[in-house]
Amino acid sequence: MTVDLKKYPAIAEYAKKTAEPTWFTELRTKSLEKASSLELPSFEKIRYQRWPIQLEQPLEKKGSRKELIETLKPEQTGNMVVQLGQNTLELKISSEMQDQGVIVCDWQTALREHGDLVQKYFMQKAVKFDEDRLTAQHVAHLTSGLFIYVPKNVVLKEAFTSYFFQDATAKNDYVHHVIIVVGENSEFSYLENLKTVGEQATTANIIVEVVAQENSHVKFASVDRLGANTTTYLNRRGHLKKNAKIDWSMGMMNDGNIVGDFDSDLAGDGAHSEVKIVAISTGKQVQGIDTRVTNIGKHTIGHILQHGVILSRSTLTFNGIGHIIKGAKGADAQQESRVLMLSNKAKGDANPILLIDDNDVTAGHAASIGRVNQEQLYYLMSRGLPKKVAERLVIIGFLGPVLAAIPSKVIRAQLKATIERKLIDGQKDE
Amino acid sequence: MSTLEVKDLHVSIDGKNILKGVNLTMKTGEIHAIMGPNGTGKSTLSEAIMGHPAYKVTQGEVLLNGENILELPVDERARAGLFLAMQYPAEIPGVTNAEFIRGAINARRPEDKPLSVRSFLKQLDKTMSVLDMTEEMADRYLNEGFSGGEKKRNEILQLMMIKPKFAILDEIDSGLDIDALKVVSRGVNQMRGPEFGSLIITHYQRLLNYIVPDVVHVMMGGRIVKQGGPELAKRLEDEGYAGLRDELGLDIKLVDEEA
Repeated sequence: MTVDLKKYPAIAEYAKKTAEPTWFTELRTKSLEKASSLELPSFEKIRYQRWPIQLEQPLEKKGSRKELIETLKPEQTGNMVVQLGQNTLELKISSEMQDQGVIVCDWQTALREHGDLVQKYFMQKAVKFDEDRLTAQHVAHLTSGLFIYVPKNVVLKEAFTSYFFQDATAKNDYVHHVIIVVGENSEFSYLENLKTVGEQATTANIIVEVVAQENSHVKFASVDRLGANTTTYLNRRGHLKKNAKIDWSMGMMNDGNIVGDFDSDLAGDGAHSEVKIVAISTGKQVQGIDTRVTNIGKHTIGHILQHGVILSRSTLTFNGIGHIIKGAKGADAQQESRVLMLSNKAKGDANPILLIDDNDVTAGHAASIGRVNQEQLYYLMSRGLPKKVAERLVIIGFLGPVLAAIPSKVIRAQLKATIERKLIDGQKDE
Repeated sequence: MSTLEVKDLHVSIDGKNILKGVNLTMKTGEIHAIMGPNGTGKSTLSEAIMGHPAYKVTQGEVLLNGENILELPVDERARAGLFLAMQYPAEIPGVTNAEFIRGAINARRPEDKPLSVRSFLKQLDKTMSVLDMTEEMADRYLNEGFSGGEKKRNEILQLMMIKPKFAILDEIDSGLDIDALKVVSRGVNQMRGPEFGSLIITHYQRLLNYIVPDVVHVMMGGRIVKQGGPELAKRLEDEGYAGLRDELGLDIKLVDEEA
């Protein structure tokens, strides 16, 4: 296929500046052409379609202000990447990773230096480019990201951490893509920190694809703190081969409106996905979280555990979808979604959805929406704790079962601190 | 010295009148016991003083050092110096015991002068050893999965760490074996002193062998019907509540009495 780039001057200009491979530029134009005819994805009880979630700005290479860069140094010093907007500020890979042939590089470098690998996995296994309008717009406007490739038989002890700062000091869309490929029999832990700097109204479109090859084990953790004026489509999807396992631990601590689309496709026999999500909605924000596990292979296991808390006038919706495809004999799909409401004006939903097309399976669900347990509050206050402090403890207690199930102690502690901060801020609006 | 006064207190729960005019005065340095048959309003009195939202005060007042505390929310009453060791402490998963107790202590201190972690832990270790509690109890989630006896000890641990002016112990002896009873009593006795007063609610005399009260109140039918010294508790143990009731000529049906 040949594309007339004259029709797309912005893409042509961008491709030239970044020297991205032709196949990728062609995929961009193809996606752009197709996007308008594709539907927006629909999620049960999440109405986001009128939000400014579609990408409308032309593709453009942009830097961030230098003085901003200086303020973003994380405490961590090794085995991490720091990105601000479209730029990579720091990338340090441990010798353990280098010695074993692990590739970690920013998006443009990945396209230039590992084009074949990227082409093999980009929107091929986990997410398809023409799945819906948002995925197609994503490809057309993509400007930053990370590529991680762990070869087979590599067991990494140390986790790799990414700090992605969305630069909202200017009105720029944030379109970001992460690919993590973990080879056969390999083990990899990854922690992603997503955060906004600046307060401009912006749109973020983020896709993370995790491909777990046979017998691999991936621990994926994230702490998401996108800003109040950022409207986000966040899609994280795992594609699991035979006997692969992904442990997802996600903390949705954003302040703006967001649709989280978190899926695992258990393609190979014996694949296993554990999804743990904690979410807190505050102010007037809307967070819609659609978590799906699809059991395709035999004896696959998909477990979803999500607990969330709603303050003020905010909204939190949890969909839990367990889909067992015909032929997935011996599959297991379990889910639990619980929502705690702290205010009468908050809106919450927990929707368990089980779609089962085979008989020889086990499946179960639990869902609840409740208010703070008054006896717990009374007990804590009777020891002198002010009501808001007591409420925070009850909330942390409510999120406890999810936090306790998160494999890494470091991430648990970090998430707890983030929760505390988000709650203190959120209670100011009460 | 501090004083706690309960004056003509009437309390109802779910529209049912339970307390029908309770009067009681105590000072720090004193230990008072309230005894009485089941269903007579002893726990209602303790919850009403602490401020449980389900208990409605319809008449009377509770004064701490002369100030009515009934308008204060629960946490302010606690910070003013009240403590209630509960019969059924709530379980709070996800919050460790140590973290919680430290929070409770710091809630009483200026925000910029929290108790240092080191001196807190030192104090906690010492207190836990008085109560024969194992170290791991500090890191366990607050009351979660604790046995009945562990919960009671944990209430006394909090009491000893927080050091209130007045502690109400609501049937702290129920469900305790004799060894645990001795341990819990040891803790309370260690608190005894001019700056501490306690109101011990029990329906058995046994606890009062270990924590000897200065004053014993007998409660029946939502009122205090008799006061005396420790010998009054012994007499009740021998003669039962029915004997005292008949002597006083009260027309009260005891809950556990055979029809």
